[in-house]
Amino acid sequence: MPSEIITLQLGQCGNQIGFEFWKRLCLEHGISPSGVLEDFANDGLDRKDVFFYQADDDHYIPRAVLLDLEPRVINTIMGSVYSKLYNPENVYLSKHGGGAGNNWASGYSQGEKLQEEVFDIIDREADGSDSLEGFILCHSIAGGTGSGMGSFIMERLADRYPKKLIQTFSVFPNQDEISDVVVQPYNSMLTLKRLTTAADSVVVLDNTALNRIACDRLHIQNPSFSQINNLVSTIMSVSTTTLRYPSYMNNNLIGLTAPLIPTPQLHFLMTGYTPLTSDSDIHTQQLVNVRKTTVLDVMRRLLQPKNMMVSTGPDKSNHHCYISILNIIQGEVDPTQVHKSLQRIRDRKMAQFIPWGPTSIQVALSRSSPYVQSNHRVSGLMLANHTSICSLFERALNQYDKLRKRGAFLDQFRREDIFKDDLNELDESRETVDCLVQEYEAATREDYMQFSVKRGNGPVDSKSEDSRSVTSAGS
Amino acid sequence: MYALLVFVERYSECKPVSESSSSTSLSAMGLPHGNKTSDVNSAAGSVPTTLAIASTSTILTTSQNVSGSTRLSLTQSQDFPTSTPVNCKKATESDTTPVVFVRRGPMDRNRGAGKDERNDLSVIKERVLNAVSDQSLSGYRSVTNKTGNSPKSMPNDLVTLTDVPDEYRTHLLWEYYKVDGDKVPRAEIAAMPLLSQESMLLDELLHCLTGIRESLLVPQKPIISAVGLAKYDTDFDIHTHLDRSLTHQVREILPLASYFMGVQKIIAATDGLGQVMNSLNEALQELTHDFYLIIVQAEQELRHNRLTLQKLLYYLQPTMWVMHEVWSSLVIIQLSDSRDAEVLTYLHERIKRLEGNKDAQQLIIGLVRKAAKPYMRMLQMWIQKGVIVDRHREFLVVDNEVIHRDELPEHYSDDYWERRYTLRDEQIPSFLAKYSDKILRTGKYLNVIRQCGKRVMPTQEMNLEFDPTSERHVSVINDAYYFAARMLLDVLLTENDLMGHLQSVKRYLLLNQGDFTMQFMDACEDELTKNVDHVLPMTLENLLGLTLRISSARNDPYKDDLHCELLPYDLVTQMSKIMKKEENWQAQPRLDLSGLECFAFTYEVKWPCSLVLNHISISKYQMLFRQLFYCKHVERQLCKIWKENSIARQFEPQAASLYRAAFTLRQRMMNAIQNLEYYMMIEIIEPNWHIFIEKMKTVENVDNVLRLHQDFLDSCLKNCMLTESSHLNRSIFKLCKICLKYCEFIQITQRYFQDAELRSMVRDSADSSESEQESLHCPQIETPLDPTDTFSERVRRFDLEFTQLLISFLKQINSMAKKNTADCFMNLVHRINFNAFYTDQMDKMCVEDAIG
Repeated sequence: MPSEIITLQLGQCGNQIGFEFWKRLCLEHGISPSGVLEDFANDGLDRKDVFFYQADDDHYIPRAVLLDLEPRVINTIMGSVYSKLYNPENVYLSKHGGGAGNNWASGYSQGEKLQEEVFDIIDREADGSDSLEGFILCHSIAGGTGSGMGSFIMERLADRYPKKLIQTFSVFPNQDEISDVVVQPYNSMLTLKRLTTAADSVVVLDNTALNRIACDRLHIQNPSFSQINNLVSTIMSVSTTTLRYPSYMNNNLIGLTAPLIPTPQLHFLMTGYTPLTSDSDIHTQQLVNVRKTTVLDVMRRLLQPKNMMVSTGPDKSNHHCYISILNIIQGEVDPTQVHKSLQRIRDRKMAQFIPWGPTSIQVALSRSSPYVQSNHRVSGLMLANHTSICSLFERALNQYDKLRKRGAFLDQFRREDIFKDDLNELDESRETVDCLVQEYEAATREDYMQFSVKRGNGPVDSKSEDSRSVTSAGS
Repeated sequence: MYALLVFVERYSECKPVSESSSSTSLSAMGLPHGNKTSDVNSAAGSVPTTLAIASTSTILTTSQNVSGSTRLSLTQSQDFPTSTPVNCKKATESDTTPVVFVRRGPMDRNRGAGKDERNDLSVIKERVLNAVSDQSLSGYRSVTNKTGNSPKSMPNDLVTLTDVPDEYRTHLLWEYYKVDGDKVPRAEIAAMPLLSQESMLLDELLHCLTGIRESLLVPQKPIISAVGLAKYDTDFDIHTHLDRSLTHQVREILPLASYFMGVQKIIAATDGLGQVMNSLNEALQELTHDFYLIIVQAEQELRHNRLTLQKLLYYLQPTMWVMHEVWSSLVIIQLSDSRDAEVLTYLHERIKRLEGNKDAQQLIIGLVRKAAKPYMRMLQMWIQKGVIVDRHREFLVVDNEVIHRDELPEHYSDDYWERRYTLRDEQIPSFLAKYSDKILRTGKYLNVIRQCGKRVMPTQEMNLEFDPTSERHVSVINDAYYFAARMLLDVLLTENDLMGHLQSVKRYLLLNQGDFTMQFMDACEDELTKNVDHVLPMTLENLLGLTLRISSARNDPYKDDLHCELLPYDLVTQMSKIMKKEENWQAQPRLDLSGLECFAFTYEVKWPCSLVLNHISISKYQMLFRQLFYCKHVERQLCKIWKENSIARQFEPQAASLYRAAFTLRQRMMNAIQNLEYYMMIEIIEPNWHIFIEKMKTVENVDNVLRLHQDFLDSCLKNCMLTESSHLNRSIFKLCKICLKYCEFIQITQRYFQDAELRSMVRDSADSSESEQESLHCPQIETPLDPTDTFSERVRRFDLEFTQLLISFLKQINSMAKKNTADCFMNLVHRINFNAFYTDQMDKMCVEDAIG
């Protein structure tokens, strides 16, 4: 029976995001930092058992597995007021604690070495579920542990649990700054291949966009990791609200996800949320927003790029379109207002949709926690499959090509078994991502059904030329 | 006795003939010469004094000839007045009851009790009958003397007597029986002085007014064929020898006798015909008593020589007006055969038409008030206790069934509310017409309350009476109604938590508790996919119990009322049969139905919630459930193959494109089914539920609850395309069917192309040649299938069939929407065709239809 979800937190980024996520879930379900149900939260209408299980002493314990190759972040979590919340047996730190050095290959290899211990935890957690539906992974694609070890675990999960859903919340690197991780392009490319082949759906969280939103929408000059992660946890919690507060539809992860992904390759989703407020703005904006926010306001704003958690850049030829949309609306909502809003969006052509299949804005009206005060009468989250997501992949390809052409910083990769003999894995990953870009481009056209991949032939140089050609065409 | 009376009457008839002959003889003897008579008349015309003298001579002559009979008559006359003073004295001594009407003049000073009056009348009758016994002997001798004449007159008399209706005779003290018709010879009355005539006439008139036959005022025989008012009217023949002035005055008073007798006849005719008539008759008896008092007072005045015809006429005038009104009202009631409430209605309306006649109006008001008493007593019992005691079936509410609380039949509440208690329209008095519905519901509510085992304690002391001059009965009815309505609402909503039950029904039968539904479907899927004849109901119940305990439904206090049911037909068949109104359809064989197609939840609810959640309501919920459940099942199957198809992520890009058509078709199916679900659940059921809940907050009585709930269900059924006028549910069923077939097809072929692709990837890794790979690729796909049918072609055919069904469905909605612009069906079209993907195909099919 599809019901429970196990959350896997990988690497520093994944654990930071996960930490914020569990804090939010505890608030929403009236669970104290030590896992005790508060006195005011005993109506039993919510479904805590999707993400928590109850111990023999009635404590609520997250269905979470915390994994890292270095101890800093996890030690911070285990030293917080939430230290008693987690099952200690579900926290795994590698013994040497040296981390993966921001190297995908190192993370991947360590994952392979430690898989028995790691999967003992995962299997035990899965066995403890009455009806496991799937796994949620939180990770970054550009580091070492989240990307490398995460890639390994994704591949193994797909093999060991082929009927279970794998959804990731994947943080993409910041493009606006010179990264201190010089091999980031290699890491991203290698991870993207696994996201393409092993994950059922990928929720893309673009650090560039998150920082822009924090600066522009929340007016935070230098946002901290905690503030960025709080944004991410909002996305994560709202996207799972319909699982935790059941109603007519959208009661399981697959029911939410399947309509968004028509063909297996096109499973990268972007998100948007509105309205966004920071704590300092609560008093000044509360009155205004309560008065002004309507369903149509929310649904219109969700279609605006500035509210998207992905930076796709300007679409000069205006050919990108929505493959599908799911809006999760919370608050005081009249279903007839939803219908009117949809008609308005349709009549005014506020959104451009694919021409090769029927699609629309699906709406899930979700209840929210009675214990968390909302600053807005209506709020909404958008999960969208939009063809412009491929611009992120194109940028990754460009950066990869620059680095790969010069063969820079490859010594660390060659030291690991997977790259001992040759660097084919890198080039195969590039090819996989290139095919993905082509597929998304094809999805903007009417003849998508007849689309077939153009494959490069010959040596590396030839591929490089083809790559440049494709990129130019795309631009 | 009866034979004796007949005998006496026959003798009386013979005597007038003799008198007539005698009169003729006297006339001949008095005038020997015709010519002289003419001369005398001529002289009288010119000389008045001469005529007067002649008349006197004639009278004196007559007296001398019949001196013997004169003595006898005087003797009788003297005997009769002797008894009257005795009656007067008794009446005076026992005076306790005031006269209700006509209170003026000397008559007010004398009063008497009804019972005493009746006893006196009986004494009078006894004495008269004794006198008749004496007469019979004389009559016998007379007959012997005139044997030759007897045979001729006897048959006519018998026929006349038998024509009088028995009902007129058996209940009356008097009805002009022929007890003594020979008091004064005709010739003799003419010879009397005017004052003597008046005195004798007054005596007879007073008797006549109470139905006693006399010689000077003779009632005409009832005309059997009379219609209208004439049927209850009595005309009198006045002796022709009476002075004209006296005759004129008497004729003005005689209608009162007719009124009186008409009233008596109607009282007799309607005795025992219901409580209302009995009560009205009782009031009329009191009226009769008062009438007798007036007559007695008049007689007393007569004994004191203070009564004249003119005076009597003056005193009786108001009584005549009143009695006329009573008489005509009663006759109309009788002629129209009105009974029970109709009587009350008629009298009540009569009051309005008597605004100019206060005395009559007051009397009618009194009659109505009295006549309505038993009816209002029944009304009080009903609106205070919910009990009907109605032996004569004259109350406005009918109890169609006697049910005891412990004997409630299984489905009795199906029609309980509408059929157990109903109104008899013909038994609603006009003054209750506006409140009949309220009255009906008040008693209904009280009955339900008592059937819940609760004791109905009236909060007000009630003595419900009808007063035409006030509206007090209205406020009493309203108070009783609101009391019962509030009490029943409390019993239903508070003590029995009707809303909790409705919430529970919504949770399961309308799939509001989505997580429970998913878990239950997981648990039961293997069982329900079997042929329905192989599904074990007990297995379903066990799985249901388990799911209820482990899902979030475990907190629902009413979850144990939920049960599984396997119906012997699918939803489309059910709709079809309902449309055709067939009754023997359950006997039809089941043709390869799966458990899923026959499955429904049912909800077991107890009294009084079963008043609302009755068998029909549950059936409607089940129809909604079956459609939603089936769609949800289809969605789950599509999601399942979606997950299985996701392995194609690992395929070679070239190979993955081969399956794109299959993937997108699956996605189009999912889009259609999910939008259909969303439309039914989120845009129809939930808003209707919200409206229902909001209106329930201000509900005042149970009928409103029933109506609102009915409106909620009917609106849901209509807009979810589950009504007789809609063929859309058939299209929905076909769409679901083809989706399921497609899922089955994909699952069968899944393992083949999965193996083929994985093998292909291995070869590719080994640097196999491309052409060799392709040659291996194709046979693997096609071998398991029909040799003439490739995977792609099968997908294309499914695509075509599904698209045609969907386009047809959308067109059906379009055409329906044009007819009923108020419906929400177009919302569904807008959702499924949100990005206008199907618009071109729809237009194309429209063109084809136009050509066809």
